[in-house]
Amino acid sequence: MSREQAPDPGRKAAVGPSAGVASGLRPWARRERIDRGIKARSDDISVLASPRDLAWLLLPRTLPIAALLVFPLLGGLTGSYWQAVMLNTLVIALLALSWDLLASVGLISLGQSFFFGIGGYLAGILDTQFKLGPLVGIALATILGAVLATALLLPLLRLRGIYFGLITFALPLLLMRLVETTGALGGTEGMSGLTALPNRTVELYLLIAALLATVAGFRRLSASDRGLVLHALRDNDRAVLAAGFSLPWLRTQAVFWAALPATFAGAFVTHRYQFVGMPAFSIEYSTLPLTSAVVGGTGGFFGAVVGAFLLVPLSELLRGFGSLRVVVYSLVLLGFILVLPEGIFRFAARKYAQEERVVPLGEGQECPPPS
Amino acid sequence: MRTTGALAAAVCTLMLAGASTAAEGDLTLGVPTALGTIEGQDSLRSAQLAAQEINAAGGVEVGGKKRRLEIVSIDTREAEAGIPVFDALAAMEKLIAEKKPVAIVVGAFRSEVLLSAMDMIAKVKIPYLCTIGMSPDFEKKIAGEYEKYKFNFRLGLSAPYLVGNLGHMLDSVKKKYGTDKVYFVHQDVAWAKGTVAGLSKVLAAGGWKVVGSDAYPTGARDFSSSLTKAKFGSAQVLVPVFDMPESGVLVKQVHSMKVPALVAGFISPAAPATAWATFSGDIDGLVNFLFEPGSIPLATPRSQHFTEAYAKAYGEAARNKLSGHGPGPSYDAVFVLADAIRRAGSTQADAVVAELEKTDTQGAIGKIVFNKTHQVIYGEDPTQAAVSLAFQWRAGKRRLVYPEAVAEGAFELPGK
Amino acid sequence: MKVLIVSTLIYGLVQGATLMLTALGFSLTFGLSGVANFAHGGLYLLSGFLAWALVNRLGMPFPLAAAATVLLVALLGAAVYRLVLRPVRGITLSEVISTFALGVALIEGFRWRGFTTYDFSLPPFWPGEVEIAGVSVDRQRLAIVGAGFLLPLALWAFTHHTRVGLALRGMAQDETTALAMGIDSDWAATLSLSLGAGLAAVAAVLLLPLGIISINTGYEVLLVALAVTVLGGLESTAGMIVGSLLIGFAVVITGNFVGPHLSEVVYLGALVLVLGLKPSGLLGRSKEIEERV
Repeated sequence: MSREQAPDPGRKAAVGPSAGVASGLRPWARRERIDRGIKARSDDISVLASPRDLAWLLLPRTLPIAALLVFPLLGGLTGSYWQAVMLNTLVIALLALSWDLLASVGLISLGQSFFFGIGGYLAGILDTQFKLGPLVGIALATILGAVLATALLLPLLRLRGIYFGLITFALPLLLMRLVETTGALGGTEGMSGLTALPNRTVELYLLIAALLATVAGFRRLSASDRGLVLHALRDNDRAVLAAGFSLPWLRTQAVFWAALPATFAGAFVTHRYQFVGMPAFSIEYSTLPLTSAVVGGTGGFFGAVVGAFLLVPLSELLRGFGSLRVVVYSLVLLGFILVLPEGIFRFAARKYAQEERVVPLGEGQECPPPS
Repeated sequence: MRTTGALAAAVCTLMLAGASTAAEGDLTLGVPTALGTIEGQDSLRSAQLAAQEINAAGGVEVGGKKRRLEIVSIDTREAEAGIPVFDALAAMEKLIAEKKPVAIVVGAFRSEVLLSAMDMIAKVKIPYLCTIGMSPDFEKKIAGEYEKYKFNFRLGLSAPYLVGNLGHMLDSVKKKYGTDKVYFVHQDVAWAKGTVAGLSKVLAAGGWKVVGSDAYPTGARDFSSSLTKAKFGSAQVLVPVFDMPESGVLVKQVHSMKVPALVAGFISPAAPATAWATFSGDIDGLVNFLFEPGSIPLATPRSQHFTEAYAKAYGEAARNKLSGHGPGPSYDAVFVLADAIRRAGSTQADAVVAELEKTDTQGAIGKIVFNKTHQVIYGEDPTQAAVSLAFQWRAGKRRLVYPEAVAEGAFELPGK
Repeated sequence: MKVLIVSTLIYGLVQGATLMLTALGFSLTFGLSGVANFAHGGLYLLSGFLAWALVNRLGMPFPLAAAATVLLVALLGAAVYRLVLRPVRGITLSEVISTFALGVALIEGFRWRGFTTYDFSLPPFWPGEVEIAGVSVDRQRLAIVGAGFLLPLALWAFTHHTRVGLALRGMAQDETTALAMGIDSDWAATLSLSLGAGLAAVAAVLLLPLGIISINTGYEVLLVALAVTVLGGLESTAGMIVGSLLIGFAVVITGNFVGPHLSEVVYLGALVLVLGLKPSGLLGRSKEIEERV
């Protein structure tokens, strides 16, 4: 991208139409965003020549990953309480990623706990019936759970946007009620005494691996041709239909991929606490990922993770305040939707790579065409 | 970046706000419970009242030195349907890790949380005096592995005692009026189902005929089906077992559907003194259970003192709203613990537990003696054991009708 | 047995009317402006506590307090549109999330402030009971049945026979044309949200006297409103009436003849079934092509 000429020092940068200029033309000003110098320099192969540019490019990507990978080994420093918080954060991050993928396809899910609960209960059933051990159990529950969840949602995939939202809101509550009234699957007391995972380090690394795999996988998916079609579903599904694609089939695929991290999270939590019950379908597993994704920034998947890492520890700190905690993060959610809809991550990424400035239009320049 | 700045500032403020302010040398008692329920709130306040009274008298004597009591609490939110057990336990874990209490009073609200908390206490090894959770498995666990679970004690009513007391109360009704047809209406939760199941057996053995038994999910707001069937089946006694606020609808519906049965059971909204005003007299003739004395005191000086001190500390209105389960034993628990610490001469858990087992004192709930599985013994005579009370609403007042040792009058069948 | 049938008929009607009242506000807002107002439950709860406060703290007689509550909450609905929904108008995701967040904040706010005790009760408009064919029903429930059928009729008349109502319907049917006819989109949306909120308040002052106000009602109401709205179909008053009656009777019949513990599952099951088979609802017509792709 070309560099702008620095404005003539003799002319004051004008903002608004009121500054006078000798020529008689009303100078206007506009705000423009241009890439920072360092971004421009690190956009191609020449980045390898400069360690500083390389660092600028790679550190934001590698530092968090490195931190995540190292965190479980710092047990003595963090204490088991914050390790538990990290586990919860990662679980919510997985659910938020799942939500994000659905949202990028145009399906707004108000009930991520549906997937979470299905994964959790399947893990519980597999453990009590077959005793396969936690790792195999989690893997099986994840895949079977995703298949089951997708199958259950199939008839509803013909619906658009808001209807999907309504039904996903109602589904976890319906399942919770069903379990409560029929007393199946442990009823109100749930299934307890399930097999535990070997140790805390295994738990952490399992989740971290899942998180990294999900982020990488989803981004691959989005960048691929199939991903392009999926995004088009959100923007203009009639066009996709006109292009000859089968919309229900596309949505089914999207739901399946999105279900995987969510059912994994559910199965994991079941084995971590050695318990699964009605609270697996609770509204907290729907609202917290939703809030994380919105606060962090929808689309792009990094935002969802960033949001989770911000919100869950905050929510933890507020634990002593009882229900105020929920009030606070609903208000945070509301605030972000209204004030910073692009989310923290997008905002930060934009600031990192671009700068904004006000550029006056001088004599002889025309107003930019209306955008 | 304004928003992130504000967020960071908020987080810092909260972290500072959460910092402990306990003075050195204070004995900290932890109260992790469902503070969003009236049982939890009132129990916390009762415990705080007890702590204040002990401090006013100089404090707890520990090995010659007097130390102040400090009560710290955390809301586990376990009464909300969406909160899983481990979430509630995380709150308890946080309280223990940050405030380092020497003991826990009041304890868990839900049975599942209580049972899991026992495992946490087995690891942390501090005395745990619970007053709300009622599961019989509490005693079973202590009986099964005494050394592991010996730190747990219960001063509140337990579910088996509830069944027994309800059964005795209904038998007194039968003896006086010859009623023998009963209809159960209960909440579809574990403790209510268990209570009704136990009670059905007891009553069937006593010659009662169970006309019907309906379970309602939490949040149900129409009880017409049960009431129609009860009326139709000529049930003479209707036994509700509810602790959800929506059971207020049941109270009003019994009245409006003109069901000619004596309503005797446990409906939490109809228990506090303010219920008459809330239901504008629809509850006349309703017999309700108080799990422990507190909201209505016993005629003993200790019990009377509790209600008066509570009114002085928190106001008449608060005293009139006192819940029927939790406040009495929570108040007593603090005194029982303080006394055990004094006798043990230290706060060391094993010593305190040994002294707790030897407790034999008069409390707000009656005589406090623990049985072998660390449950306070409940009976019919407040000079011999702790008691549960049943009262009947009559002309705006709650008249005690059970047990006989404290009854102010007899049951009156509705003359509708 | 005859008594049981009569009872089923009467209480099924009551239950149907209850559902209808609960869902009316939500359905109207959704039908007229496309906004799913997930704060509906929170507004319902707020109305209840507001009416209680007016009666018990300011000493107002209940009918006056009820009227004041409806008015205040209607104004609040307008404010909700202006402050919360207008910035994100058109972005369905944001609309849903923002109203949802507002609703949760309201409900949990009450819980945090300790409105969980048992003494929040509203007096009925018409105390006393009436006996119909051997079954005793309280007058308040009969009033609910009356309101449950009269209000939708009144609204139907409003949207079909008054200028304002027709303008709102026009906006719902085709926004561009309506704009071309001079109907302001913002004003129409404000009005429809205000109406929806006001109807939530009406439902609250009629239904809450049946028991005591409990916090979880906030979530229950939202669920019921969703179920009935989707079941009956948008923009179809008849559909909503039919849907409410269907679910109402299903719940009561299940309760009377099978077991009350299953009655709560019924309406959620109905919701899922209808959405799977006929997403536009039982009698909804206009949006059918829009929904299925």
